[in-house]
Amino acid sequence: MLYKTGLSSLLLFFFLCVAPVCADNLSLEPLLTELKHAAAQTETLSSPFVQEKYLDIFAEKLLSDGVFIYQKPDFLRWELLTPMASGFVLRGDDGERWNHLSQEQESFSVTDDPVMGMIAQQLLAWARVDLDWLEGRYRIELQTADPVVLHLYPRDEGEAEFIKYLQIQFSADRSHVVAVQMVEQSGDQTTITFTEVKINSALPSSAFQVPK
Amino acid sequence: MISLLSASFRFFQSRRIWLLILLLVLSVGAGWKISQLEIEDSITAMLPDGDSRVAHDFKMLQKAPFARQLVIHVVARDGIEADDLLAATEVLRQALPNELFLDPVSGPGDIAATPLFKQLGDYLPVLADDEDLETIAGMLSEKEIDRSLAADLAQLLQPQGVVLKTKIRRDPLQLEQLALQKLATLNPIPGVALKDGHFLSLDGRSSLILAETSIAMTDALGGRALLDAFDLATKQLPDGIEARLISGHPYTLANAETIQNDMKQVLVVSGIGLLVLFFLFLRSLSALFVFLLPLFSMAAGLVAVAGCFETISGVTVGFGAVMLGITIDYGLHVYFAWRYGSDKQGREQLLRAVSRPVLFGGLTSLAAFAVLLSSALPGQRQLAVFAVAGIVTALILALFFLPHFVGHGKERGSSSVLQLRRHIYDRKPLLRFGVIFLWLIISGCAAFQAQNLAINAELKKLSYLPTSLQQAEKELAETWGDMRSRAMIFASGKDLESALQRNEEVWQKLERLGIEDEVVSLAPMLPSLKTQQQRRQNWEEFWQQRQATVRDLVQTTGQKYGFSANAFTPFWECLNQPAPLMDADTINRWGLGRAVSSLFIEENGTYQLLTLFPDRLELINSLDHELGQAAGINLVSQQRFSQQLSREIGVDFSRFVSFAGVAVVILLLLLFRRLPEVLLALLPVLTGLLVMFGGMGWLGLEMNIFNVIAAILIIGLGVDYGIFMVCHGQREEDLASSRAILVSGLTTLVGFGALLLAHHPALHSIGLTVLLGISAAVPTAVLVIPAFRPKRF
Repeated sequence: MLYKTGLSSLLLFFFLCVAPVCADNLSLEPLLTELKHAAAQTETLSSPFVQEKYLDIFAEKLLSDGVFIYQKPDFLRWELLTPMASGFVLRGDDGERWNHLSQEQESFSVTDDPVMGMIAQQLLAWARVDLDWLEGRYRIELQTADPVVLHLYPRDEGEAEFIKYLQIQFSADRSHVVAVQMVEQSGDQTTITFTEVKINSALPSSAFQVPK
Repeated sequence: MISLLSASFRFFQSRRIWLLILLLVLSVGAGWKISQLEIEDSITAMLPDGDSRVAHDFKMLQKAPFARQLVIHVVARDGIEADDLLAATEVLRQALPNELFLDPVSGPGDIAATPLFKQLGDYLPVLADDEDLETIAGMLSEKEIDRSLAADLAQLLQPQGVVLKTKIRRDPLQLEQLALQKLATLNPIPGVALKDGHFLSLDGRSSLILAETSIAMTDALGGRALLDAFDLATKQLPDGIEARLISGHPYTLANAETIQNDMKQVLVVSGIGLLVLFFLFLRSLSALFVFLLPLFSMAAGLVAVAGCFETISGVTVGFGAVMLGITIDYGLHVYFAWRYGSDKQGREQLLRAVSRPVLFGGLTSLAAFAVLLSSALPGQRQLAVFAVAGIVTALILALFFLPHFVGHGKERGSSSVLQLRRHIYDRKPLLRFGVIFLWLIISGCAAFQAQNLAINAELKKLSYLPTSLQQAEKELAETWGDMRSRAMIFASGKDLESALQRNEEVWQKLERLGIEDEVVSLAPMLPSLKTQQQRRQNWEEFWQQRQATVRDLVQTTGQKYGFSANAFTPFWECLNQPAPLMDADTINRWGLGRAVSSLFIEENGTYQLLTLFPDRLELINSLDHELGQAAGINLVSQQRFSQQLSREIGVDFSRFVSFAGVAVVILLLLLFRRLPEVLLALLPVLTGLLVMFGGMGWLGLEMNIFNVIAAILIIGLGVDYGIFMVCHGQREEDLASSRAILVSGLTTLVGFGALLLAHHPALHSIGLTVLLGISAAVPTAVLVIPAFRPKRF
């Protein structure tokens, strides 16, 4: 009886732990290839977004609205419109950030500012769906295939100190990301939902300029 | 002396084989001694030693952070991404052999992965000085707190918020930026950015690799191995990316190779020149001994230097060897007198007649070179011993040995230039005045141009600087700022604490001058223990007075922006904990160990802390005045070093010329006992020096250490010519002096003139200056002296 229970436990352990890994590995590769292929068609991407922050540092949930714009190869705009107008634009290695509440505006270079360098690298990787870079940096697990939801676990110890995992949800046609959730080790969470994604539409000339 | 010479001549007349055996034994002995010599290939022999300021400064300059390091500048062509450049840099770094390139680094590594940014703020209480506390007081107003918290909120809402959240909780008022500013003073590379832990230039097109090496900067052979290994490693670089090694080694190697190539060329050219002279003027096997004379002199010089000094400078050997070429002159005078001269009273009388000018000529040269014994430069002292031993040997060989090995000539008087010239002066008396007039014109012009002569002791002027290396240095400075030539202040102490206290004094003085942004110093990040404790106490008092008010303000403003009540608890906790004390180990743990080690030297139980700042003369002079009297503080500057060296060379030169001049005049007075003859004998040397200085002034050349020795050489040779011509004019015997002087002048011109072809600036400048001097001294001796005083007999 004891032997049978032990064997059952072992089998259960195998199915719970090993089998999903095999299944994931089998299904993830073609899926990632498909996502990569779809992203390669993206020249520009723009979308309003809603950001929800559940952070211990804030007294309550903090909602904000903003706009995200990307243009190949390395142009970005991340702008919050509420509760305070702030954000940054990136043009290659150089960029500018602003905060209308504190009336601050400054230039930066990703080579000089390691934090902005890291953020720019992350956002560009997501916008391009640069899966090679992401796979090097995260262990990727497929949560659901329809819609595609991935969990990304940081491989880097430093990043793993504060990020538990990232949850990425793709659109139904798998052409772009529609939601990103970041779960921190402390339990804090941030969710960004892209509401009206436009792919390869013409961008205004001021797309990568600081708002006046 | 002359009687001894006569007696010796008589004694050895029938015992020539004894002389040959003696010469052979001495040669074998000298050869053995020379084979044991160790020659040091370094320019340091030409810099003052002992306790002089210049010697001290030179030693200190060698301690400059980048003076003792290998700097590899990696440059990418336009269009190459910074990431590709950094990847190539890493490939190159790994391809460098570890036995030659010790501990190569292409950056401080991932500083973000070190505890630096987590811990730096904890040390603010011991780093913040009074000015910082004033700044912090300004940051605690209601308006400023509002601005800070608004900025915090904006940061938290941005993607970077996740990274910055912990920091914002710990430092909502952004006080840590004051500590961050202090970190900048540890950066010795002004134009540097960091990308992925690598050094990257601001334009993103250049990166750096820094390495140590065990190969001495002056080791040419080691330098060759280093450069070969570097060239091999650079083959790993992809197209469009190049790397240049910047250190003392390429210069040493370029200099050594240039000197070797120059010497080959010079030896071939001067050898051909000497052969031509041999066939034109000597044409006898017995004259070969005359040409061997400098070799014997050189061997004697080397043996003497080896006996007096522990190590011999390569500069001494090289320059001494060239210089002792002049000893051929004594042989030539004896040879010509013996072979072509005439005296009714026989050979012994002829020897007595020629021995007097040869002996006095030798003595004046000895006196001229002996003054170099008092030089502050070890190389010049070695050179003095070398020259004195060589000249003494040459005199002995010329007077005691040579007459026994030179046969009597049969063509006596057949081609006497003297007779021809006397004839011309006798036939055309006006020609004498023409020669004197021309001499006056040339001397006047030379004197006028000599006023433009400047002294320059810049070490670079003494070395061969290939254009490619100069260009590489220039590009390095343009890309990364002034890394390698900043002035330094050393704060020393018997213990670390006292050195740190002095280092702080230096920093405070530089701060008062308003140049702190251009200064590299450990003082802001690593104050003395005493200062840290005082600052910590000041910090505690500062917050005791303000904490309650500030807490209320932060709470109220925080609420306005949606911050929770415990949002900044870590800040208040940190504020109420005793701050840790800063030490070098902490900075090392932050990945900045290299910056610390480049500014910190522990040697023989003494601690030295370096402060680097721009090498501007007005700044140096002002600081020198302020720091001059401070104990344990020394300022060292390349520019001031060159100035001091120039001054010392100037003083040395004046002393040498005065001493040599006085010694020469005394010897001439002893020889001639009449002022007019003394003045006549001085004409070639004075004209030679004047034309040398005037020519240099006219050509825009500056006086350097080697030209000083060249001037002594002109004095030695010029006086010899004067003595011979005046003696020649006085004596009844025909000593064939004009011919001897002509051939001797031509051999010197061939020897030194060949140096004009040299690419090495030191050799070229010696060649040019001696050429100028001798070109004037020889015609003055053979044409101007007879024009003033025709031969009496």
